[in-house]
Amino acid sequence: MTHEPQHPPTDKNLHKAILTLFAGDRRTASASLRVGVLNGIVHLAGVVTSPEAHIAAAELAGSVPGVRGVVNRIEAPGAPRPARTVNLDLHDR
Amino acid sequence: MTPRLPTHTEPDRLKATISQVRHFNGLQPEVQDAIAAAAAPRHFATGQVIYLEGEPAEFVYILERGWVKATRMSRDGREQAMLFLRPVEIFGDIAVFTGTTYPGTTTALEAVDTWVVPSATLMTLVKQHPELALAVIRKLGERVLHYIELVEDLSLRSVEARLANTLLQHAEETDGRLVVPRRAWTTFDEMAVRLGTVRDVLSRALKTLEAEGLLKVDKQGIVLCDTKGLAERGIL
Repeated sequence: MTHEPQHPPTDKNLHKAILTLFAGDRRTASASLRVGVLNGIVHLAGVVTSPEAHIAAAELAGSVPGVRGVVNRIEAPGAPRPARTVNLDLHDR
Repeated sequence: MTPRLPTHTEPDRLKATISQVRHFNGLQPEVQDAIAAAAAPRHFATGQVIYLEGEPAEFVYILERGWVKATRMSRDGREQAMLFLRPVEIFGDIAVFTGTTYPGTTTALEAVDTWVVPSATLMTLVKQHPELALAVIRKLGERVLHYIELVEDLSLRSVEARLANTLLQHAEETDGRLVVPRRAWTTFDEMAVRLGTVRDVLSRALKTLEAEGLLKVDKQGIVLCDTKGLAERGIL
């Protein structure tokens, strides 16, 4: 039996999957969040009112198989500035 | 974020802005009017994201006021500055004309006023007006040259050389002295991103050039004491 090689998901598919996750989660559904995906790295922006929503958005995005890292630029009370480097290959650990 | 409609006082301001864009200032008035008719104002506060890398390229931006930084996260997860833009300038155009998502993230370094033109409208205008197409080609050609220089800088030059070149490019004459002015956002971190290095290395490079008598750091900013020496340092 032969197996098809596993291709990583495209940035476009990751983008769609993350938007679907955000729409279905009560912590992020009502927020106006923006998502960009390039080379498997997710970039988030927008505004939320709580630190919990800020963290939840990054966790949801990072949970999608194929996402290599998340840069969280979402504005929230007390939110830190994103680091200049990003932890990659979230799903290899 | 949806752009708001222009107020009645804004069309003149918009036309004046378009006429200051390099390569667009030679366009016929009817072409400038067509761009103006499609544009809407959009304001960004300091630190606010204008667009994200990998986000669908829905708009082209005309920068009217304030500085903007364009960065990109490399495949190995390190942030690199691509451009620092000051008014009046167009940005977000590469993705629109290549049909891709935005290749970098842009952030407002201070209060920024822009005009946004929907990508689809700009594409239509380019097809209708060959002189606009030529202006766009010139603009994109300039960007290519900028990136060739950036590649050369990052791959062949030392941090001291990159710093010397950047300072020479951004110096302004103040009271008979050449100064790179201190702005609210010109922190060591921002300068390090710009030069593709880290804060400690940048700090050492500044001290080296200062010890060589090429520059002096004071309250106003960085004073260039020896431009010839800096230009020579910029080659190494």
